[in-house]
Formats: sequence, C-alpha cells, structure tokens
Amino acid sequence: MSSRGGKQKKGNVTSEQEEEEQPLQAVLVADSFNRRFFPISKDQPRALLPLGNVAMIDYTLEFLTSTGVQETFVFCCWMSNKIKDHLLKSKWCRPTSPNVVHIITSDLYRSLGDVLRDVDAKNLVRNDFILVYGDVVSNIDVSQALQEHRHRRKVDKNISVMTMVFKESSPGHKSRCEEDDVIVAMDSKSKRVLHYQKTQGLKKLQFPMNIFQHGSDEFEVRHDLLDCHISICSPQVAELFTDNFDYQTRSDFVRGILVNEEILGNQIHLYVTQDGYGARVSNLQMYDSVSSDMVRRWVYPLTPEANFTDQQGQGCTHSRHNVYRGAEVSLGQGSQMEENVLIGRDTSIGANCRISNSVIGNNCTIGDNVVLDRAYMWNNVHISSNVEIHQSVVCDGAVVKEAVRLNKQCVLAYNVVIGPNLSLPEGTVVSMHHPEEEEEDDDDEFLSDDQEVGHSKDKTRQKAFNPAEVGPEGKGYIWKASMDDTEDEELAQCLWGLVLNPDPESDSESEASEESQDHSRSVSPEIDDVNAFQLEVLGTLQRGLEENIVCDNLVLEINSLKYAYNITLKEVMQILTRVVLEYPFQQQGTQLTTLQYTGSLLPLLKTWSPVFKNYIKRPQDHLDCLSAVEELFLEQDTHQTAMVKVLMKMYQLEILEEEAILKWFSTGATNDKSRQLRKNQGLQKFIKWLEEAEDESSEEGE
Amino acid sequence: MPGADKEADLTERIEAFLADLKRGGCGTGPIRGSGETARETTALLRKVTAQARWSSAGDLMEIIRKEGRRMTAAQPSETTVGNMVLRVLKIIREEYARSRGSSEETDQQESLHKLLTSGGLSEENFRQHFVHLKANVIEAINELLTELDGTTDNIAMQALEHIHSNEVIMTVGRSRTVEAFLKDAARKRKFHVIVAECAPFCQGHEMATNLSKTGIETTVIADAAIFAVMSRVNKVIIGTQTVLANGGLRAVNGTHTVALAARHHSTPLIVCAPMFKLSPQFPNEEDTFHKFVSPHEVLPFTEGEILSKVNVHCPVFDM
Repeated sequence: MSSRGGKQKKGNVTSEQEEEEQPLQAVLVADSFNRRFFPISKDQPRALLPLGNVAMIDYTLEFLTSTGVQETFVFCCWMSNKIKDHLLKSKWCRPTSPNVVHIITSDLYRSLGDVLRDVDAKNLVRNDFILVYGDVVSNIDVSQALQEHRHRRKVDKNISVMTMVFKESSPGHKSRCEEDDVIVAMDSKSKRVLHYQKTQGLKKLQFPMNIFQHGSDEFEVRHDLLDCHISICSPQVAELFTDNFDYQTRSDFVRGILVNEEILGNQIHLYVTQDGYGARVSNLQMYDSVSSDMVRRWVYPLTPEANFTDQQGQGCTHSRHNVYRGAEVSLGQGSQMEENVLIGRDTSIGANCRISNSVIGNNCTIGDNVVLDRAYMWNNVHISSNVEIHQSVVCDGAVVKEAVRLNKQCVLAYNVVIGPNLSLPEGTVVSMHHPEEEEEDDDDEFLSDDQEVGHSKDKTRQKAFNPAEVGPEGKGYIWKASMDDTEDEELAQCLWGLVLNPDPESDSESEASEESQDHSRSVSPEIDDVNAFQLEVLGTLQRGLEENIVCDNLVLEINSLKYAYNITLKEVMQILTRVVLEYPFQQQGTQLTTLQYTGSLLPLLKTWSPVFKNYIKRPQDHLDCLSAVEELFLEQDTHQTAMVKVLMKMYQLEILEEEAILKWFSTGATNDKSRQLRKNQGLQKFIKWLEEAEDESSEEGE
Repeated sequence: MPGADKEADLTERIEAFLADLKRGGCGTGPIRGSGETARETTALLRKVTAQARWSSAGDLMEIIRKEGRRMTAAQPSETTVGNMVLRVLKIIREEYARSRGSSEETDQQESLHKLLTSGGLSEENFRQHFVHLKANVIEAINELLTELDGTTDNIAMQALEHIHSNEVIMTVGRSRTVEAFLKDAARKRKFHVIVAECAPFCQGHEMATNLSKTGIETTVIADAAIFAVMSRVNKVIIGTQTVLANGGLRAVNGTHTVALAARHHSTPLIVCAPMFKLSPQFPNEEDTFHKFVSPHEVLPFTEGEILSKVNVHCPVFDM
C-alpha cells in the first residue's frame, strides 16, 4: 500500500550521468519495533511524539531534506494512519517540496530487517540511499560522507557496503545513549570498521587479534563515538538482508558482514563527524537530553523559533538564556522563566512560578507557585497550584491537581488525572490503559490499528482507580515495566534507559567471575573452542594410552578436532604440548614431586613423540613449542628443575632441535620470571652442553 | 496549463528561498553575503510582480507585503530582505504616482506641515489600473538590481580619498565591501593593515589571506589584543551587517570592542556599507533579531559532561 504526496521526477538522462543525477533517496523507518515508550506510544506512534513541540519525524525529514535527499520512503507499521495523516498535512507533502515523500505501510513489519527486505522486494532504491529511523534528530550535512562513500565504491568496485555516521563525543556525555554504547576498532586510513561491539556496561572487552592483521598499520579503537543511527547504504544492503533472513537489526547486519568478511568480501566504513549534531531518541533518557540540546541550540538551524515546519502559529520568539515564548503566552506576576525554557502558544502561567529547563506545549494552564524543572509537558495539560515537577514527562490532556509532587523520572500518559496532595515516587508511570489489558489484546493491536485502542477496554473489566496510587480524584493505573525473562538478565530496559540490576554479577565483580554468563557472551567464541579443544585432546591422549592406539590414529583424531573447533596449527601444537606436560598432574593430582613428575612424564614423551614430530616441522614450530613449555613451567614454579629434564628428553627424542633451543634461550626473556627461569642452574648447564655438542657436530661436519 | 505551472514554479522558488534563509547563514557554512541575499530577494520580487495576478498597484503591494512578511519571519536577523521589500514597495508607489500623472515635485512634498493640515488619511488607495504599470515597475526593479551590482565598486572608488600612504588601518572580521575598498586603495598607495580575527568563526583569517594575496602587508591579531594595538592605528575601517535607523550598527561579533577601543584612543572609524544595508528598524528590544547559532563553535560537543552544567551561547552579532 503506498500513497504519493508529491510530483514525480523522471530520470531521463544518459546512463553515464545517471549516477550523479539520480535523486538521492532515503529510507525512513517510522517505527522503532520495540516498546520502549509504552504506554505513551500506545496512543500515539513514537515518530509523532513531540520534541520541543514538533513531532520527531519532522526533525528527521527536515534533516534529510536539508542534506539534499530528494526522495524519501517512509515505512510505517504501528498506527500508520496517524503518521500518514500527519505527513500529508505537513510541508513535505506539498507540491513544492524538494523532497518527495512516499508513505508505505504494512502490518507485517517486525524489525528493520523486514523493512529492508521489503525495500529489496519492491525494488525501490536504485542507488545509494540514506537509512534513518523516524526519531533521529540531526543537523549533520551528510554530503561529505556521501561523497566519500561513493568514491570508495567507485575505487574499490562495490566492496564497501555501508557507511555509518558517528559523532565524536566523549564517553559519559549525557547525549550518549547507554544502550547504544559501542566500541569500534577501525583502520585509520581507510576508515574501515574492523570490529564492532556493544559495550553493554562491561568494563572488559575482548578483541579477536586476527582483525588487526589486515595489512594496514594504523588502527584505532574508539569509545568516543555516539551512534547517530544514520547510515549510507548501497543497494546491496537490501539484497543482503533478503539473503540472510535472520538479520533483524543493524547490529546484526554489521556483525554478519564483519564475521563473513572472508567469504563475501564486503566491508563497512565509518564516517566520524565533529561538527554537526545527530542523536536518536531511543528512550526517555535520550528524550531528555536531546530535548535540552535542542533548546540550547545545538541542533541549529533546527531551533524552536525557526519554525521549520512552516506551521501556522508555531513560531516563537527567542530571548536571553534560551527562553522561547510562543504567541499569546501569559505569565503571572513574579513568575520566572529562568533558562532553557520553551513555552508553546496560548499557554498561561500563574504567579510565582519558577520554570527552568522545561518544554511546555500549547494550550496549557499552569497554576500558581509551581516549580518545573526538566519537565516536559505536551499540549493541553492542566496543572494546578503548588505543584512540583522534576524530570518528568506529562502527556497530552493530563491533569495534575493541587499540591502534587512528581519526583524524578515519572511519566503521566494521556488524559491521566493525578489527585491532590500526592507525591509520586521516582520512576512512576501512570497511564489510562490498565497494564493487564495490554497482554490480553496483544495480538489484536497489531492487526487492527485502525480502531482506537481505547475501545478495547469494553472487553476488560473496568477496574477502579486506586486512590492510594493516583490520589483521591485521580484517574489512571500505575504501570510497571514487565521484567521480561527473555531479555538480558542483567540489564532491565525500562522507559528511562538502562537499569543495571543490582545482582552479584555486577561489573565490579566481573573480574573475579570470569566464567559468569554475561562475560562469556562478550568473550569471543574462539576461547570457548580452545578450551573445548584442549579437553578433547586430553581425552584423546588418555584413550590413546588406555587402548594403545597407534600414534598415526592419534594424529588423525587431533587433526579432525582441529577442523571441528577451527583451531590454527600453531595453537594445536601449543595446546598439545601443554596437555602432554600437564598430563601427569591430571592423572595423579597436583601434589607430585619433581621426581615423580619427571618419572611419569618422560615415558609419555617417548610414547607420543611421533605425534609431536608430526606437528613440529618448521623452525617456527619449535619456538612455539618452547614458548608453550616455558609458559607451563612459569606457572609451575616448583617444578622448574624438571624443565631441564623435559628439554633434554625432547632433544634426545629429536622433537626439538638444538638450534631452536639455543635461539629460544637467547631471545625472548620478556619478564622477570622467565629471566629467572633462564638462570636456573640446570638449564644453564644444559644449554652449555648443547653449545658444546653443536660445536662438536659442526666440527665433525667439516 | 502554463499559468498554473508558472504559479507553482514561483511558489517553489519562494519556498526554496525561504528554506535557504532558514538554514543557511550559520557561522560555519558557506556564508551568504548580504549582497547576494539582497539580489536574490529583489529578483524574487521581480518574478512575483511578473507572474502573480494583480490588477492594481494596491493588490501588488498586498502580495509583496505578504511575501515580505514571510521572508523576514524566516530569518529575522537578515535585514537586507526587509530592506529590499521596502524599496520595492517604494518603487511601486513612485511608478503609480508617475502614471497618475501628478508631477514628482508635488507628490514628494509630503512634508510634516502638509500631513498636519491635510487632516484625514490621504486619498491614495492605489486602486487605479494602469496598463503600463507592470512594465514600469519591472523596469524600475531592474534598475535597482543594477544599482545593487555596482555598490561595492562605487564604494571602492572612494578609497583613495580616505587612505593615505604609510597608514596603519585596522579592520574586523571579513567584509567584502571593506576588502574591495582596501584592494582599490592598494593599487596606488602603500599601507599596512591589521585584521582582528574575530573568534569564534575566525573570518579574519580569510580576510587577511585575501588581502595579502594582492600584496598588502597584513597582520592578524587576536581579539584580546585589539586594545593594545589600537594606539598604533591611524584609522579603523569596518563593514557591518545592518545600519539601524538611529545610526547604530549591527555588526559582527567583536566590532563593539574595536569601536570602544577606537573611541578611547580617538581614532577615526569609517563604516563601509552599501545602500541595501540601511534599515528603518530601531534597536529597541535587546533580544529581537539577534542571531544565536549552535554553541558548537564556542565549546565543542566533545567536551562531554561539562556541557550539562554549563550554558553556552554563541551570538553572531554585536549591536
């Protein structure tokens, strides 16, 4: 279902110029596919929620239009009719708009992946396009990034698939969304993304080393990037989404591309902007910061008094300290608008009020002695006297009666009434929709978004309002964010952003609990494999001993394990060495004396020497084996004397060559412990003996 | 239908111009000189005259007033737009009067005395229809456009009278008019120019490079050094964004410092401003038509946590 709201542009130029003259297209996803703004978004789709008294989707469209986009496809799913109505009335659907907006709706979209698959199926994009969400607020000029992207694709023959736009901002900045916090490893020269990982509040992260071996010599690992959720995609992106049915979000896509790089050869690049502002309103915390950034004019020229949506009566005047007043605002005596305040038109404010860092919508009435700090009020809100509101959101039509105090992070949804003389604790969400009603008509909502959701109340029992919760004259139900078990165990996603559960598995203890679940999520799968491989090898060797299996068969088994767990040859050899050397400990416990240890180990070495010889062929392998031996004996301090015997035996069995041993001895004393090791008497004697032996053999050779 | 298409075309051009006004003009992007804005406004008004449907001068003036209000609302700090609209309205009135046949002298004599003695509203309501009014108005607007083109040169021609040899001249930021002024004088005279760089946009740098390319000895100083250097300066020449009705100026940030320093040292100060910068507005409210841009220039976004505790403003103009 698609409807047009503008005149059609026909591209009828020669194919050579077609690339430059094709209108720049954009795909705008007007649905966030999550429920972060429930219950507010039950009545109004997220893209239409007002930020600074202007619907969020207007900001996105303005950003796209000013950066030169000429054709936009808006994809809506939830409450698409409202979005469509809004857009058709707005300035972007006027015939004179430079940006042609096509609205495409479907009830079947469940994720970004679905939308892009639809884009591919309908063949809507012919060329590079910009992909944004409907709640992105930005003033970045993307043309520079676009140029780089196009240049890269021309030079490299379409290897670069996507360019993500990030903004440089230090960690801990209030406009950085904690959920989107990301660490990126990139190649500095080509701006290519090598590793992309969401930090999710962790303090320790692991990077696979193979990403740094790609030939360039300048790498950056950056944590100072704010994800603007703006991407410049090539048409291949849509195709890749169609090919991979499990890609649901952009992060899936990025990870997929990075993991499958060898196979598909696609690359993702980055564009980091220092000027310009871009952020996505993904939860209420971000709503708070983006709103205040906008009032402080960081998103110039999208400022409140600019009235870029060209709506009648929307203009306001800008005064000192970022105070914006709409038309017909009346202020009572003694009231002060301290700083960073935006007041919509026809609002009247009573006497002796103090307002700061707030946004107030149109047609609101505010009583006397009201204190508003970081309060966001939408249209038609009625606030009586002696009210205090701190860092809260009050939606359309709500009524707050006398002497109410809203503590931080409260949300009052549409048409809620909060009774007199009440203090709402922090983090309360009150809505006219009963929380249980939501689960009952879960399925219905998605299919029949045409109906007003409110009508479905007839089905449920009309529950009485609890005066203890909402006050004697109040109306509304307290809404508790349901702690889903399927979500991450540690991180509960409530309306206001991440809430780290105060579980014992918190960050400060993650160093101790290395095997905890969340840590294992971020640990690369390779280390799990390595551990499993080690166990398997141990098992194999044990069986080999018990059942007297021929060494060739052992080698075969180890090789197959190597392929199964995707281990490199070098690692195989190191692990094998380690396993063998630890074998006596495994069998007989760790309380061996050196003598017992060597007693059991040396025969084992003899038995398994063919296995070793199979893996140790090149000089480098010798060195690797030696370093594994060194590592082991560094850990096993008490048995360092055994090391000499081990080395001697290995030399005699011709597993290791004297040149390699000498080389290892002379190089590579990296820390004190290994230097100490080398000072060991026995070892020194051994080395000396080796040198003499070598001299003798070389003399003989001459 | 060609008529409807033309109208749509016209509205599109107006919308594009409005959007440009709203977006452009921030300190970092390509700055649209006021001259260009004036020229575009006049060209647009000429198009409106040519294509809009009007039967008498009164209608035309109404249309132009409406469009003018929209354009000034889009960017209140850009006064050249309003100035040009007023000039065009004046042209229309003049042409109308000329067509009516009354001689120019009698009409110009709207002295205060006459206004007092005449009593009620004047009879002019511009309702008469004249065949050639359109052509006349368009011709007059074209004359206005040519005049606009020539302003910078006209000013530059007077440069030799004001600048003498071996003088030290100070200027602030970047002004195309002053640049042309100085370049013209440099052809015959040798002098030294000191440019104040004018943070945070630092347009002084560009000005200095342009001047030095033509062989003028230029020095760039930081804004803090203006007072210190002023004792050595013979003249101060500045450009401005607007000349207000009371003779005051709205100029780029930093000009106030220069003016105060010059007054302290009794240094003569010359302002070069073309005619489209003359505005009938008064600087009554300190907040009106001021322009604040993104505080990014002053304190970059990357500064992080301090931003939530600090208010950062970045005004573009001084009064």
